Amino acid sequence: MLPSNLDCAQRPDRIFGDLGPDVLAEFDGIKSRQTFPRGAALFREGQSARGIYLLTEGRVRLTVCSESGRRMTLRTVGPGQILGLSAALAGGFYEITAEAVDNVEAAEIRRKDLLHFLHEHCDICMQVVNLLSENLHEAYERVRAVGLTRVRHPHSHTAQHN
Amino acid sequence: MLSPYGLDIIESCLTCKMRAERLFCDLPTAALQSFESIKYATAYPKGAVLFVEGQTPRGIFVLCKGRVKLSICASDGKTLILKIAEPGEVLGLSAAVSGKTYELTAETIDPCQVNFVKREDFLRFLKEHSEACFKVAEQLSEKYNVACHEVRSLGLSHSAAEKLAKLLIEWSSKNGESLKQEPRIKLALTHEEIAQMIGTSRETVTRLFADLKKRQILQAKGSTLVIRNKAALRTLATTG
Repeated sequence: MLPSNLDCAQRPDRIFGDLGPDVLAEFDGIKSRQTFPRGAALFREGQSARGIYLLTEGRVRLTVCSESGRRMTLRTVGPGQILGLSAALAGGFYEITAEAVDNVEAAEIRRKDLLHFLHEHCDICMQVVNLLSENLHEAYERVRAVGLTRVRHPHSHTAQHN
Repeated sequence: MLSPYGLDIIESCLTCKMRAERLFCDLPTAALQSFESIKYATAYPKGAVLFVEGQTPRGIFVLCKGRVKLSICASDGKTLILKIAEPGEVLGLSAAVSGKTYELTAETIDPCQVNFVKREDFLRFLKEHSEACFKVAEQLSEKYNVACHEVRSLGLSHSAAEKLAKLLIEWSSKNGESLKQEPRIKLALTHEEIAQMIGTSRETVTRLFADLKKRQILQAKGSTLVIRNKAALRTLATTG
């Protein structure tokens, strides 16, 4: 069992930090400590989402890959970040690959346990909703940056398909 | 009750036939009863703008019928269509939750029925109904995954041909068409709008469609496209 979250600073994982003692104990009970050496993947794009990872040490690079093998880095994140959240909640596949840049330590929470925990604690679920909204804002900014730098100015004519 | 736009308005979520099939709508009865008291059912014609990128969020829009185009605009007027929202999707969700401005512009491409809920009512509803809160988390997660998919498609595709092929394959996977030998796609967008979806020009899209028809990968039957050669289209989607 990992040390409790009592001393967390203001980070995304803070939503799991400000808990009452009973809830905190329950949350501590569903975490398991995982370590990843530099270069190891916490999860890969396309893998079935098995849970989330709360980073406690080290940095992780988040990338996406095309079918032909071209890779694009989205960003690098550090302690306090929560990885795999949207995949775990949507119940599908990880959309990105998370690879350790340094030696990484993370708390893994299995999908089933996370869903049960959120169902039981609406206030925490609401904070997760807030976090997801922030993540989505960032994702749209990324779409804008990648997509709109490549778009040509719209032509004045439109045409139906024929 | 018929609306002026020919829609058969769904008056009550509780008796809606599509309730069980839609992620957000499939709520416990008590939650839906509460939702009924805060929603405003509205009909919009094709071409109506529900909200504009940069606007202060007034609330959420649950799409009951019809489809809505979601787009992002640059300061110089360039437009990127992110996706076509289908019934069941909750629009303006992340902005309503965070209080930040709408990140997208939502414009109807069919006559639509939309259930609007004011922001403060919606946030209170989520706090009072944990199941609804959870479903919002699921919807936001799906939207995030779509955005990541879009970044991959736009950022990593080699060519417009590759992006167009991917888009056609994605469209052909709906409504069970992917199981058919020759899937069909009912086109609802112009070449200009398709160009805005894949980040290219209208002329390029027109040229690509002509090329695909010439190579007998696609065939046009009115406003319906028939994919004659699925394998060739898939090859294009990976190699451009």
